[in-house]
Amino acid sequence: MEERRRADPKMIIAVQMLSIGVILFILGLTVSLLSPVSRMEPYIRMTFLISVGSILLVGILFSIGGIIRYKRVKRR
Amino acid sequence: MWSDFIIIGIYLALMFVAGIFFSRNIKNTADYFLAARSAPWFWIMGSVWATNIGFLHGYLAHGGAAYEWGLIQANFEWFQGPFGYILTGIFFIAFYWRASIYTVPQFLERRYGSGLSVVYSLAWIVIFIVTIAAEFYLGGIFLKNILHIPFWPTVLVLATVVGTYTLLGGLGAAIMMEFVQFIIMILGTMPLLFILLHMVGGIFGLKEVMLTQWGISPQYFTVLPDLHHPYGPGPWIILGQCFVVTLGWCAGHQSMVQRNLGARSIYDAKFGYVVAAIPKTLGAFLYSVPMVAAPIIFARSGIFVERADASYGKLILNLLPSGMLGLFIAGLLSAGLSSISSVLNSTSTMIVKDIYERFLVRGRSDHHYFIAGRIATFGIIAASLLLVPVVLKVYLIMWLEQTLIAMVLGPFMGVLMLAIFWRRTNATGSLVGFITGGIFAIFLQQGLGVRVFFQISWWSFVLTFFVTMVVSLLTEKPRLEQVEGMTWDSDFRSKVGLILEERAEKKGIKVTEISRGDLRRPPWYLNIKYWATAILLLQIVLLLFFG
Repeated sequence: MEERRRADPKMIIAVQMLSIGVILFILGLTVSLLSPVSRMEPYIRMTFLISVGSILLVGILFSIGGIIRYKRVKRR
Repeated sequence: MWSDFIIIGIYLALMFVAGIFFSRNIKNTADYFLAARSAPWFWIMGSVWATNIGFLHGYLAHGGAAYEWGLIQANFEWFQGPFGYILTGIFFIAFYWRASIYTVPQFLERRYGSGLSVVYSLAWIVIFIVTIAAEFYLGGIFLKNILHIPFWPTVLVLATVVGTYTLLGGLGAAIMMEFVQFIIMILGTMPLLFILLHMVGGIFGLKEVMLTQWGISPQYFTVLPDLHHPYGPGPWIILGQCFVVTLGWCAGHQSMVQRNLGARSIYDAKFGYVVAAIPKTLGAFLYSVPMVAAPIIFARSGIFVERADASYGKLILNLLPSGMLGLFIAGLLSAGLSSISSVLNSTSTMIVKDIYERFLVRGRSDHHYFIAGRIATFGIIAASLLLVPVVLKVYLIMWLEQTLIAMVLGPFMGVLMLAIFWRRTNATGSLVGFITGGIFAIFLQQGLGVRVFFQISWWSFVLTFFVTMVVSLLTEKPRLEQVEGMTWDSDFRSKVGLILEERAEKKGIKVTEISRGDLRRPPWYLNIKYWATAILLLQIVLLLFFG
């Protein structure tokens, strides 16, 4: 009985990936929109863009991976 | 400054919502305490490291110590940490995972009976509750100093966010958030290093100013200093800190181990722990190396730093522009929240599995213990919040935590090493050895006034080791079920990992429920031995470069 009520491990990973992707993407977007990039010193601006760009990229990749996994688990 | 508030607010809100969204998947105790044993190795990697790094053990405390004592602080990240992660991943995790346990005390109970496991559980529960209170306190004080926001509302917001996702989602939610926090810590706070090194002319420019112009001792740039160094003599760092404290922390700290128990296979558990040594190595570049360069920035800007532990906050406040500061504070908050959530989840697991289910209410339904886990999590948050006003002000509380850690780690490593590597060790020997080692540690600390933490741990480890061996030899042998599958010298010997499982299965030994998928060999580029060797070689290169 209890075995039937267990969570699906594949669904857990899909939800985790999707959540991680969405959090990182929204956070990266917020930081990039709210920061006065043009007023930063050139070297600080470069490190900032690499940092936020990387967060956005990881967010997008995890979101896509999460959506694909989520759909695959739902189809089963 | 308002943009920084918005960034931090959105970050906290996202974690809160994601925690509630995730919690719909959690249905029983295995889901709640072990994330349904679903975690792949990269989850484990991020989660183990994020658990390790907090306000207390990370940015603020380690950064402050690096500012005061120099590069010696990096030995936690470049030497002992990776060493502890790799040894634990290769030698200990397999035994824990195979035993299908929820907590480290459960392993001790199977191997040694209930006496030692209860003592160990109670000691860690006290340590954990004090740790959570200290993390809340440090988080509240840090945000108050940086953003000038009131202390108590800040602490309550942090408690609500981290409490909600941990209480509702259990280990799965904690691991998920820790991975987010891992990414934000690495990518969000790494720019500080490059900005600082650019400003001081790189590592060689930094050394030139501090050694030649300021006349600072070369020991400030040494990772393993000589025997007379007041903060951490090199040989004691290797003996006491590396072999006993760090290894005991990695193999015996419930929060560090619990992530691996939630792994989807024995390979993921081991590989995740081993490769967590990579972000651990990077950690020194996030808070130790930048703080070694900080004195030059403070001197050039005319900033006065009254206390070493306030130096990190002052540095980022004066150096980083708006927006970037918000992201950086989100990274620092990540460190604190990841530690709090992991310790919170582990404490509730130990209370329910080691105390409540074992001694207080036996034989109830799984759902009963699942709800008990959530109630325990709520109770721990409440208890920690009650401790917040006094945790760092009342000497007795931190004294108790430090004494318990000193008392526990050395003796624990003694009995754990014997548990796995010597099948003759028995319950009586381990209990007598553990208590003798613990009392000896307190005597060294309180009676003889030994202040170097790793000396206490080393000598209590040595005493525990020998007392346990002697008493075990003088008393009866352990029963077969207490050693079979639990020791290195079991029916399957000589190698670790997947080959062991294959041999165990061929011989028809029921070691654990291993699915067929777990017996597949990983491709060469995911081979644990190759990665462990590469990471250890990296430590040697760093030690050769920094001495």
